[in-house]
Order: sequence, then structure tokens, then C-alpha cells
Amino acid sequence: MAFMFRRRAWMSTTLLVALAVLAGACSTDYPNSTFNHTTDFNAANDAVWDRLLFWGTIVFVGVEAALLYVILRFRRGSAARETKPVHGDTKLEILWTAIPAVILVFIAIPTVRTIFMTQAKAAPDALQVEVVGHQWWWEFRYPELGITTANELYLPKGRTVNFALTTVDVLHSFWIPQLGGKRDLITNKTNYLWFTPNADIATDALNGFCAEYCGSSHANMKFRVYTVEPAEFERWAAHQARPAVFPVAPAVPAVPSGAGVTLQTASTAPAASDSSAPAAPVAPQLEPYWFPKEQLPSHVIPTTKLPVGLTFDESALAAGDPERGRELYSRSSCIGCHAIAGNPMSMSKVGPNLTHVATRHTIASGLYQNDAKHLALWIKNAPAMKPGSLMPTLGVGEKDPVRKTVMSAAMGGLTDAQIADIVAYLQALK
Amino acid sequence: MATIVAAPPYSSTATESANTGLMSWLTTVDHKRIGVLYLITALVFFVIGGLEAFLIRAQLAVPNGTVLSADMYNQLFTMHGTTMVFLAIMPLSAAFFNFLIPLQIGARDVAFPRLNAFSYWIYLLGGIFITVPIFFAVAPDGGWFGYAPLSTKQFSPQINMDFWVLGLQILGISSLAAAFNFITTIINMRAPGMHLMRMPIFTWMSFVVQFLVALAFPVITIALVFLQFDRFFGTNFYAIGAGADPLLWQHLFWVFGHPEVYILILPAFGLVSEVLPTFSKKPLFGYPVMVYSGILIGFLGFGVWAHHMFAVGMGPIADAVFSLTTMLIAIPTGVKIFNWMATMWDGDLRFNTSMKFGVALVGMFTIGGISGVMHSSPPADLQQTDTYFIVAHFHYVLFGGSMFGLFAGLYYYFPKISGRFMSESLGNWHFWLTFLGMNLTFFPMHFSGLLGMPRRTYQYDAGQGLELFNLLSTIGTLVLMLGTLFGLINLWKSWKSGERASSNPWGAPTIEWAIPSPPPEHNFDTLPQITSRYPLWDLKGAVVTHPTTVADEAGRVQKTAKQLGIPMPNPSILPLVTAVGVIVMFSGMLFTGSNMKLAVAIMIGGAVWWIAGLYNWLLTPLEDAH
Amino acid sequence: MTATTMPAAHDESHGHGHHYTTLGLDNRKIAIWTFIGSECMLFASLISTYLVYKGRSVKGPFPHEAWTDPSGKVFPAILDIPVTSASTFVLLMSSFAMVLALAAVQNKELPKTTFGERILGSSKLWLWVTCLMGTAFLGFQAYEFTAFIREGLTIRTNLFGSSFFTLTGFHGAHVAVGVCWLFSLLAIDYKRGLGPSDALNVDIAALYWHFVDVVWIVIFTLVYLIK
Repeated sequence: MAFMFRRRAWMSTTLLVALAVLAGACSTDYPNSTFNHTTDFNAANDAVWDRLLFWGTIVFVGVEAALLYVILRFRRGSAARETKPVHGDTKLEILWTAIPAVILVFIAIPTVRTIFMTQAKAAPDALQVEVVGHQWWWEFRYPELGITTANELYLPKGRTVNFALTTVDVLHSFWIPQLGGKRDLITNKTNYLWFTPNADIATDALNGFCAEYCGSSHANMKFRVYTVEPAEFERWAAHQARPAVFPVAPAVPAVPSGAGVTLQTASTAPAASDSSAPAAPVAPQLEPYWFPKEQLPSHVIPTTKLPVGLTFDESALAAGDPERGRELYSRSSCIGCHAIAGNPMSMSKVGPNLTHVATRHTIASGLYQNDAKHLALWIKNAPAMKPGSLMPTLGVGEKDPVRKTVMSAAMGGLTDAQIADIVAYLQALK
Repeated sequence: MATIVAAPPYSSTATESANTGLMSWLTTVDHKRIGVLYLITALVFFVIGGLEAFLIRAQLAVPNGTVLSADMYNQLFTMHGTTMVFLAIMPLSAAFFNFLIPLQIGARDVAFPRLNAFSYWIYLLGGIFITVPIFFAVAPDGGWFGYAPLSTKQFSPQINMDFWVLGLQILGISSLAAAFNFITTIINMRAPGMHLMRMPIFTWMSFVVQFLVALAFPVITIALVFLQFDRFFGTNFYAIGAGADPLLWQHLFWVFGHPEVYILILPAFGLVSEVLPTFSKKPLFGYPVMVYSGILIGFLGFGVWAHHMFAVGMGPIADAVFSLTTMLIAIPTGVKIFNWMATMWDGDLRFNTSMKFGVALVGMFTIGGISGVMHSSPPADLQQTDTYFIVAHFHYVLFGGSMFGLFAGLYYYFPKISGRFMSESLGNWHFWLTFLGMNLTFFPMHFSGLLGMPRRTYQYDAGQGLELFNLLSTIGTLVLMLGTLFGLINLWKSWKSGERASSNPWGAPTIEWAIPSPPPEHNFDTLPQITSRYPLWDLKGAVVTHPTTVADEAGRVQKTAKQLGIPMPNPSILPLVTAVGVIVMFSGMLFTGSNMKLAVAIMIGGAVWWIAGLYNWLLTPLEDAH
Repeated sequence: MTATTMPAAHDESHGHGHHYTTLGLDNRKIAIWTFIGSECMLFASLISTYLVYKGRSVKGPFPHEAWTDPSGKVFPAILDIPVTSASTFVLLMSSFAMVLALAAVQNKELPKTTFGERILGSSKLWLWVTCLMGTAFLGFQAYEFTAFIREGLTIRTNLFGSSFFTLTGFHGAHVAVGVCWLFSLLAIDYKRGLGPSDALNVDIAALYWHFVDVVWIVIFTLVYLIK
């Protein structure tokens, strides 16, 4: 029976440890914690949670302690005990019907109040963001700002953002644990979710997830959220609204990568510069902004393993030429799905918009880092990189895991050298 | 196959040797033998579902796991849920319905013995139908909830979801037939004096469950018919291009799905309500309240389904209403917890394995109940839904609740079923490893969920603060498997060579303990006259139980039904034959995509087969003329 | 010892050919009511789906209003209420015939002297009438379905088509099962004659038949009459 006692002691220790872990959960060790007060929305929700945790803990401790007492107090010792034929006690039973009822009232009132508060209509001056779910990536549109982007969301601090959520295929669920609860994306329906990030929170990069099972790569349907200063957001938005920074005139001969190029727009950026820091401004236009790569916290840097057997000739990457890549991109199957503002050949809206793809830190919906190596592998064999990917296998000699065919040049397959050119082009799209 | 007639102490004069061969099991219509069939089959599926869970946990032990492919993982979590709900827990409950209800109400069998056998065969064949594809990596992969439109042909064009749609319909037939049978049995086969308010509490909870089955399963049947028509005939119920509303599926599914939760838990509550009084040597505290709270849980269970849908955007009014109705369920559930503790209060608690599992249910279900109240509140639920917090919650309910209750019942009723005790030493290992493993597996999931881990994801990134919790969960699964192994070894060894048990080894109060262990084919030599809730206890003054020993009963002789002139139903192969026809008909559907002519031929063949079987069955009398 | 302390009931169950039941009713009677309760949920699901999808179809034909397709072709409102009213009447009357059939079986052994008594007391006649009326209802439904398909509405056309054909088709299947059931009783009646000892079997079939009839009245009201 001492064993029995130890079990219970172990359980209470567990509870204490649990509470301690819970208390520490707001720290940076848990980068996707749901216990933050960074927006009006998650603060309100967390206040209800705190109340639930408070009452839950009381009930838990009360019931388990009572159970423990009963077990220890009334267990049979060396001899049988005499027992009385008690069939019930109306007063007691009314009492313990009433106790949960009263506790529930304490929970129900803030619950209902919070439901109506958080589901009211968003303020009319809120920043509008259209979230469109796709198997398995996120399309983000800022209709007032003329921006369409994918998988990376910029939110200005201190301003209400109103998400209009739709999906083009199956159900998904939009969830940024650090900023608030989730809302499903329902086919043939528009859902709304709004909140206001506090003005005083840190400029940060956060994880977002799809929380409704949506098929093969449900686990890989992630996104990034950058909470930035309003001024930074303005710079980002102004830059994103412009076409890609790249020489679009087809007559211009190919230039070696890394050389300065003539730009249509006033802002400049060396085409193949590896720096993600924005380039110096030239004209009255705002200096472009995107979240600086050096400041990315580790929890938004993907650690996904590469598929076994998929390789890329890294030496080819150095020889990649953005202009050749642009030319190749514009006549290959890429344009069947992707759009790049500024490239008139590339207008399709099926896949993610690539206009400023080089300003993003991840590819494949948060699955890999956006660097030359991962881009090249991705173009070579996307379905191998991401199960179920609707982007087809493109590398010559690669086996398409869905179609079970081996890609050839005749089928429009690309060699490593060609892929390297396209990678150079995409990396130039700042 | 093990046999239950291993020379019981309270022995029959004529050992019915004809009743032990394979054919006797294929043709049996005896509710006790069908109960044993359910028990063994459900335990096999429980092990399969457990192995599926183990593979899932192996994949998730470390970030970016490489044990399984994404598609295999998706098949496994779909099949784990489907298997545990429909093939393990429900049929384990059915094993007890079958074995116990007629014994507890003082009947010689269920109302429709052959329909009962039919239910079992449909369950077995349907279970095989839905399980076999996993061995060929073509198992259903749309989740046990099968949300449209992902489950439609447009997004799941392979055969995988066909198995699920058809398999669940097949299993629905089994559950519905059993529900009609048991409702009729409980209403109409109670022994004289067995008023409703004298019925043993397990029978009461089973009674509520049968109504839940009868009223909830038609709803999912229709939801599945729509999905089946969409997949096979191109209808538009969930076709997004035709303007369909995917929430139709969710509403229909959860109108079924939430009562289903109570279908899974109430039988376990019933079993524990038998175990606790016996091993506390006290009557159940507040029997009427326990009955009414069970009814109320069942009734409210139909009014809370949309709490599974707080994130779908139903609007604040619906969210508030479903939140409040859900909270209400906490009241009758809480009352049960308190009444169980009051039953034990001032009792004479004997902690054998059965009691340990029973008491553990009270403790563990409380945790599941508390987390349940937490996500009855939509503001909290919006963070919790579709995360591991929910996984933790319902495993505390379904493992810490349903399975613990069923294990308690198994250890308690095993002597009645087999005439032998289960081993206490092995049982001790079974209990402690299961208890430890369960908590180690599922308690950390509360944290991984609240710290941002979505469900149904086959991999997660490193550096998200989730490594420790996931590793603990996986280690817990290993402990659980070890515990289950002890349980299975115990079952096997005890069945073959356990210590002999008398008719009432525990000193239990209800009438199933007044007849030999195992009971004779006809259960009761004469129908008992019931005068109280606890016929075998003396409740004047102090509680006096009347346990029996093998020695007490050494000289007693049990006559057979034939000797007593009691007409018993004849064995019949027709339920099995009919069930096979039904399965053949459904299997034909699988070929509609590849070969329509073949499909139609198989379906017609199957239909003719089972209709012929059914006519033959209906025109064959149940018993010999007398 | 305990076994002997439990008093035995005055047990009439063995050796006398009938089993003890708590309510004194036959088990089958209780089972059919349970079954009907369950069927209510089945039809409730089908009917709710029809109502939820009412007006949600993105293209026609529609039940109560005309629709012009993009090419300018006009599809009139598709439901033919007069014809369906007639079939509804037939089904309702079949329930009446079923009542008479049951009464005839129950009273088989009463002496029948007048022509009227012989007519009323003929179970074969009333079973035939019920069966034929049920078959006629199915004929109406077959006519309706083919007419709809000819007019451009199939089960695949739109949400209305899917939910309409599935709902009425499920009901039709129930009628068909009922007709087979009644023909089986009729076959027994011809083979050995149905008497009071079979009354329960006929009663159960009748309960099912009336249920199917009542369901149709709900469907007719909600689908056909209410716009």
C-alpha cells in the first residue's frame, strides 16, 4: 500500500512539474506557445483559459485528493471491515450537483462575453488580408495595397488586421499560435478573423500552421508571420506592390550575374547579391524592406531533412545566369502555374506568386530555407521534397513519385545547368 | 480457439462435447459464446490499433522522423482512430452487452439470438474489410472523421477512402442490428420483478447506449451514403464546384460523432458501477441519480455536436449555445464521479486488479473531463482544437475512461465467463504498466498541444520546444505496449490454467453471480423472481455478502437445458451465410471505378445471396417444435 | 448457497411453447418500433439535407421556378404537383387497405355470412390491393424520375437533383421493400392461409407500411407543397 501512496505522490509531483512547465511556457523556449498576450485576441482568449485552468486545477486537486484519501483511508487492512448499507444521500447529491453547476457559471460568463467580443465585426479601418488556402501552401493578398504573396505574412504592430479566409480546394485552418486562436478555411464560404497586434511587442518572426487535416502534406503547410513596425510595413508593402526588380526587356543581352543592371524602377539591387539587407535607395521611393535574414530566430529556420537520393550538382549553381534563367523560365512549364509581376509571360495564378520570391526566407510553404541549393532541389523534384506536391518533377532523369515516370528532356525536363539558371533568376527577384 | 467449457467446478452432468468444435462457434446463437467471440475479436483489433499507434509514435519520437512516409502516416492515424473506435472499444463493450445483459436481467438469451450472431459476423467481416488494406498500403487516409471535400473523389481519387466509406456502413449494420436486439431484450426479457429501477447499473447504461446507437447511426449512414454516391455516382452532396457546403458533412458526422463518444464511455461507466460496489462492499451510492445522470448524458449528447466545430465560423450565437450545452454535460458526469467516491467512502476496499482499473478510471476520467470543460469554451478551444491538447483529452477519456473501465470489467467478469480467475500477479503488472504508460504517453500531449503542435502532422521541426514531450509520449507508448502484453499473457494463461472460480467468488450482489461459472447454456434453471436491486446481498444492518468458494460447490450438479426441458434455440449457420452475402455485395462497390460490369455482377450476386440467406433464416424456426 | 437464497419465479416459460416476456408483448413488436424510431433519424437526415440545399444549386433545373441556362434554353419548374398528388393519394389509400388486410387476418376465424363480410374478411383481396397500390406508387415514381431525366435533371445535375433523387429514391426503396414483404405474406396466404396466429407478422408489416406512408406525407409536404 506504500506503493499506492507513492503513486499518488508521483501524480501530485507531476502536477507541480506540469504547472511549473506551464508557467515557463511563455518563454522563448516554446516559440509556438499559446499563452501570449501579444494581441487583443489572444489576451482575451488567454484570460478565459486562465480562468479554466484555475477552476480545473481546483477540481483536479480536490477530486484526486479526495480519491487518494478514500483509497488510503478505506482500503482493507488485515481484516475485513464492516460496512453500512448506505444507498445515497439526497442532500449530498444535490450539493455535488450544485458545485459543478456553480463553477460552470463562473466559466460560462466570461466565455460567452469573449465569444461575442472576439467575433464582432472588425473595425472598418482594419488592414484587409485575404488568406487563400491551397493544397499545401498559403496565398496572402492585401487587396488595398495590390500585393499578392505566398507563405510569408507581414503584419504592422498596433493596427487591426482583418483576415478574410477562403480555400480553393479542401478545408484548412489558419493558425498563428503566438497571436491567437485558429479559424477554418471552408470551401464555398468566407470566414473572418481579426486581431490587433500590440504596438509594443517585439519585431519578430513567428510560425503559422495549417491546423485542419488537408491531405498528404498537411504537416508541411506552414507559414511565417513577421510582426514589424508600421514604417517597416509601409516600406515592405510599397516594395512588394512593385513588379520584380529585374530587367524585363527581352532585348537586353544576358549579363553576367553579380554585375549591376539597368532597372526600370528607381530602386536598385545587385541581381545576384547574397545579402538580404535592402539595397540603398536612389529615388524618393521608400527604401525596400523585408525581415532581415540575420535577425531570423532559430525557430523559423526549417530543419526539414532532404529526401534520400536527391542530389544537385552544386558547381552548376555558381554558373547559374539570371538572364538565361529568365528566358528559360519564360518558356518552360513554370509559367503554367506561377505569376511574376514584370514578366509578361508569367501570369498564372495556380501556384504561389513569385514576384518577390527572393525576399522570402522559406520555400515550399515553410518547409525549406530559401537558398540556391534548396531552390534547385525543389525545382528538380518537388514531389520528392514535399509529399503530394502539386508542382511536378522537372529535373531530367528524376522519377516523378506520383506519375511513376522518369523525366526526360523531351518531356520538358530541365538539366542541372538549366535549373541553376532558373535559380539565379528567382534569386534575383528581390 | 479457447473454449469456455473447461470442466467448471459447478459442473454439468453431460459435458456437451458437440459444443466445442469450430462448427459450433460458426453456428452458435448463444449470447455468451457470441460475447466471447466479440471479446477475442475486439482484443485482436485492439492490438492492431495499438501497433498502428506505436508506428505513429515511433515516427514522432524525434523531429523530422523518417520511420514512415507522409502517406503511410496518414493511413495509420486514420486507421488507428477508426480501429479503436469501431473495431476495439465498441465491440469490447458489445462483448459485455452480449455476455451480461441477459444474465443481469434474468433472461435465457437475447430477444433475437440469430440476429445477434448476424451482428457479430457482420462486425468481424466488416472489420477485416476495413483493416486488410493497411497491409497493402492502400488504407483509408482521410482521418477517422473523413471530412469532405478531402474525402471526395476529387481530392482522394484512390481506392483508399472507398474502403472507409463502405466499411463504416457495413459496421453500422452490425451496431444497429445489435441495438434493436438489446433494446428489445432489456424492455421485454426482464425476469419477473426486475423493474427498471432494479436493473443492474451496467444494463442501465447499456440500455442508454443502445438508444444512442439506434438514433445516431442512421445519421452517419446517410452522411456516408452521400459520400458514397458522390464517389461512385457523381452526385454533388460534397462537390465544391456545385456549390455544396462542406459543413453538411461535419454536422451530420458530429450529430453521430458526439453521441458516439457516450456510446464508447457509458458501458465502461456501467462496468465500474458494478465493480466499485462489490469491492467496496457497499451498495452503489445514489443508484437513481446514477441512472438519471446516464440518461441525461445520453440525451444532452445529441445537443452538443457543434462543439467539434467552434473554428468553422458558425457565428457567436451558435458558438455560445453549443458551448453552454456542452458545459451542462459536466454536471451529470461530475455527479457520477462524486457518487463513485461516495460508494467507496466508508467501504471495505479490496484492491485487486479489477478494482485498481476501476478506481483508476475515476481518477483518469476526471482529468479528461476537466480538459473537456476547458475546450467547451470556444475562446480556449480556438487555441486547443486540432492540437495535441485534444489528443491528450480524448485519450484520457477513451483510454483512461473506456479502456480502464473495460479492463476492470474484464478482470471482474472473467471468472463468470471462463470459470477461472485471472492472475493477480500478472494483473498487477498489467495495471501498473498500463497506468504508468498511459500517463506517460498522454499527459505530455497536453503540453505539446498548448505549445503549438497541430494534430495529424507526420513531422515537426526541431527547435520548437516539442522534442521532450514527444519523446516522453513515445516512451510511454512502449510502456503501454509492455503492459498490454502482460494483460494478453494473463488472459491466455488464465483461460487455459487459471485458478478455478466458484459461482460468486467476489461476493457480488447481482443475479449473474447466482448461477454457475461459466453459466449453463440456458443461464437460469428457473427464471428468478427479483425482489430487490441487490438480490444476493443481505442489507439489513451491516452489509452481508455471500461469496462462494469452489469447495462449497464441489458436489453440486448442473443439469442441462435438455434435462430440464428448456427449449433452446438451434445453432444456425444462416446468420454467417447472410453476413457473407452482405459483405460480398458491398465489396462489389469497390470495382465500380475499374470494371462496372464486374461490380454490378458482384453486387447482384451478393444481394441475391444474402436475400436468399435471409428468407431461409426467416422461414426456419428458432427452436424445435415442442 | 446464494443460488438457493434467490427465489425462483413461477416459471411458465418451458415446456409450454411460449416464452415469458416482461410486457407480455411479442419481442418482434418492440423491435419494429425501435427500428422505426431509428428510421426516423435516417429520413430526418435526408430531409434536412434536402432543406439545407434548397436554393443553393448553382444551376437548374429547379423544383419550383423556371431556369434559363447560359445558352438561353428555358427549363420550367420541374415538380409536377398534380401527378404527385395522385400518387400520394394512392399511397395513402394503400395504408387504408393495409388496415383492412390486418383486420381480415385477425378475424379470419369469425363466420362470414354476407357478401360485405366476405369482401371485408378477405385478407388476400386487401393484401393484393395494398401491394398493387404500392406498386402503382412505384410506377408513379418511375414515371416521375424518367420525366425529370428527360427534362434535364439527373442525380448529378445539381444539389437539388442529388438531394431530391436520393431522398425520394430512399423512400421509394423503402416502398419497394414493403411491397416485397407484402407479396411474401400474400404468398404464404396462398400457400397455407394467414390466420390469427400470423396476425403479429402482418401487424409488423403493417406498422412498417404505415410508417413509410407517413414519411411520404412529410416528404410530399416539404418537398412538393412548400415553395
